[in-house]
Amino acid sequence: MGAVRIRSCFLQLIAQVQEVSLDGLETYVPLLSMSQNLAKLAQRIDFNQSSDSDEDGPERESREPWGKPEPEEDEGTVKFQPSLWPWDSVRNNLRSALTEMCVLHDVLSVLKDKKYMALDPVSQDPALTKTPQVFQLISKKKSLATAAQLLLKGAEKLTKSLAENQEQRRQRDFNSELLRLRSQWKLRKVGHKILGDLSYRSAGSLFPHHGTFEVIKNTDIDLDKKVPDDYCPLNVQIPSDLEGSAYIKVSIQKQSADIGDLGTVSLFRRQPKAKPGSQMWHLKLEAAQNVLLCKEIFAQLSREAVQIKSQIPHIVVKNQIISQPFPGLQLSISLCHSTGEKKSQRASPDKSKPDDHLYVLEHNLHQLIREVHTMPHPASSPFGHKRLRLAGPMAYDKAEISSLQQSEGLLEKIIKQAKHIFLRSRTARTIDSLASRIEDPQIQAHWSNINSVYESSVKVLITSQGYEQICKSIQLQLNIGVEQIRVVHRDGRVITLSHQEQELQDFLLSQMSQHQVHAVQQLAKVMGWHVLSFSNHVGLGPIESIGNASAITVASPSGEHAISVRNGPESGCKVLVQFPRNQAKELPKSDAVQDARWTHLRGPYREVHCGRMEGRNFVYKMELLMAALSPCP
Amino acid sequence: MEAPPVTVMPVTGGTINMMEYLLQGSVLDQSLESLLHRLRGLCDNMEPESFADHELVYLLKGQQGNPFMLRARRSLLHPTAPWHLRYLGQPEVGDKSRHALVRNCVDVAASHSLPDFLNEMGFRMDHEFVAKGQVFRKGAMKVVVSKLLRVLASGNTENTEPLSLSYLVELSVLAPAGQDTVSEDMRSFAEQLKPLVHLEKIDPKRLM
Repeated sequence: MGAVRIRSCFLQLIAQVQEVSLDGLETYVPLLSMSQNLAKLAQRIDFNQSSDSDEDGPERESREPWGKPEPEEDEGTVKFQPSLWPWDSVRNNLRSALTEMCVLHDVLSVLKDKKYMALDPVSQDPALTKTPQVFQLISKKKSLATAAQLLLKGAEKLTKSLAENQEQRRQRDFNSELLRLRSQWKLRKVGHKILGDLSYRSAGSLFPHHGTFEVIKNTDIDLDKKVPDDYCPLNVQIPSDLEGSAYIKVSIQKQSADIGDLGTVSLFRRQPKAKPGSQMWHLKLEAAQNVLLCKEIFAQLSREAVQIKSQIPHIVVKNQIISQPFPGLQLSISLCHSTGEKKSQRASPDKSKPDDHLYVLEHNLHQLIREVHTMPHPASSPFGHKRLRLAGPMAYDKAEISSLQQSEGLLEKIIKQAKHIFLRSRTARTIDSLASRIEDPQIQAHWSNINSVYESSVKVLITSQGYEQICKSIQLQLNIGVEQIRVVHRDGRVITLSHQEQELQDFLLSQMSQHQVHAVQQLAKVMGWHVLSFSNHVGLGPIESIGNASAITVASPSGEHAISVRNGPESGCKVLVQFPRNQAKELPKSDAVQDARWTHLRGPYREVHCGRMEGRNFVYKMELLMAALSPCP
Repeated sequence: MEAPPVTVMPVTGGTINMMEYLLQGSVLDQSLESLLHRLRGLCDNMEPESFADHELVYLLKGQQGNPFMLRARRSLLHPTAPWHLRYLGQPEVGDKSRHALVRNCVDVAASHSLPDFLNEMGFRMDHEFVAKGQVFRKGAMKVVVSKLLRVLASGNTENTEPLSLSYLVELSVLAPAGQDTVSEDMRSFAEQLKPLVHLEKIDPKRLM
């Protein structure tokens, strides 16, 4: 190309040959002047063509001079009108450009006003902003992943909180457990600690034990392992001397042969059966309170055992109180406190028999540790015994005041009750042994159901079998007290018996012998026989060691026969029948009595062998005898 | 030198030297029920006991400045119960930190001829009033909630009118001299009654 250009430049400098004549003379084309050259060049400027045809420009320039001399070879690219001045096209182009620019300028100035025309962006053709599908996929994936992560996080939080709630409900967290504890026990907050009170002070007890327990949080729980079913987040710490369990053992033991062993019973030993909802702390606290109760009762008892004066002094040894209510009877009260670590094998598992009187003892012990408060009237008076306040105005003397102040101690009451129980059981046994030993007459004992702790009563009837309606003259009411038995007879006599068993037995035996004679008396009435003489205590005959013998003499309705009965507790019964004189085997003849009618009078006696008579009991035998001796009309 | 005869020696010890520790407060009539509920829960477990007392205050004006005052009180509900004669000394000016009012207190039970006896001795009745309310106790502490009524005609306890629209609440303990732990217990008990009633020590001299 460069060579072509150089050629074209050279050609412009060298005159071109227009024609070559025949003679060889070259006719050169006249060289263009500078202005002609410029015009020529200006004409060649094509304002419509783009700049990339710059390189072709000079080639067209070089072609055009070839075209000029041959206008006929114009095949169309550039129209060339040589008539016009060479700047015409230029001028036209410029003029059109000016027009365009003016139009543009007008439009812009109109736009600037914004009154008649406004510019709006043209919506982009979506096809022009089309992103590649791969990018869309990736971006969607990413946003989905973010959303999913948020949701997952939320779900995880929810499940965790739900699980925690369930765990808490199952574990019964510390506060709700504390609330339950507070509903049953007295709690108070001291500093950082929560203390509770398990003593009986609010019930009026004056025992100097503090009775405070501490509530601690149970933190030794391994959350990784499975929580045990009886786990409790709350634990109580009871004072060390109240640990374990305690009960009071009361036993009445015999020391001589005739008194029976009334046995042993344990009080306050009940193991509270654990309710399904109760917690360990509840059982612990109840056990500790029981221990405190037993200790208090025992302390009170031992204090009184030392203080009160009795005939046989009480012995207090370590945790046992031994006293003797009756000679030969030993009452021992002991406090058995086991800490639960070692189980003593020697403790026999004696099941407490449902002896109602020993439950009464326990009930009394419960009642006795509570003081019954009385309010003073008028209200400003100090607290104190109501009757003691009368001591001043009523001018009591020392004896009255001391009688007011002396109140029975716990131990005394227990001993009294023990004595009564013992006396009652021995009385029962005496009556029962007599009843089983002696068949004629029969003893019936009707025990009263309602007794007091110090008094019981029993009604003893002595009857003969088959003749209960007739012979009911011996009815005894026995009032068994603490140390004595008071007997009230049907005929109004009151007899006081001591605690000796033999006295009661002797008395009953004497009553039984009296009954036989009374029975004959009643029988005589029924049979129509006349009572000639009757005596409860005859002075004749052999002396009885127990009581007195009684005797009766009855005569038949016709008067011919008479029966004499003498009955003694020891000597037994003796029956004699008196016959009329004419029935006697040998009749003493007498000159004084001549008349035959005197032979109808009663005369000699003959003894009856009761043992060989038919009849199941004495009264029956008597009845038979009477019947035999009364002739049928 | 021999000891003076027994009749001359002053009686000391025993129940003579008792001190009364006292905290007082008051509640309006409409708040009485809630206070009684709270007291029933806090105090020893028994039925709350109502009382109606007639108190007469006797003064003996001697040559010295301060008249000697004795309080005679009888129960209207229990007419046969003995009268109660009480002497209250001046409040002890101990350290200010003591929470309760402490004063010497002598209580004596007397027969029904007490007013005549006091008149013969030279005492003159200064004023009288009727107190009705309830008594609670917690251990050694006594809480008395009472309404004070003015006696309109002297001697006639039927005609009475209330002195105020509130009830007087008194927390008192009778203890031998020297036991300061009592006031601590009283203060903690009084704390439990807040905000129903504010029990505090009220110096009677300041009210005169």
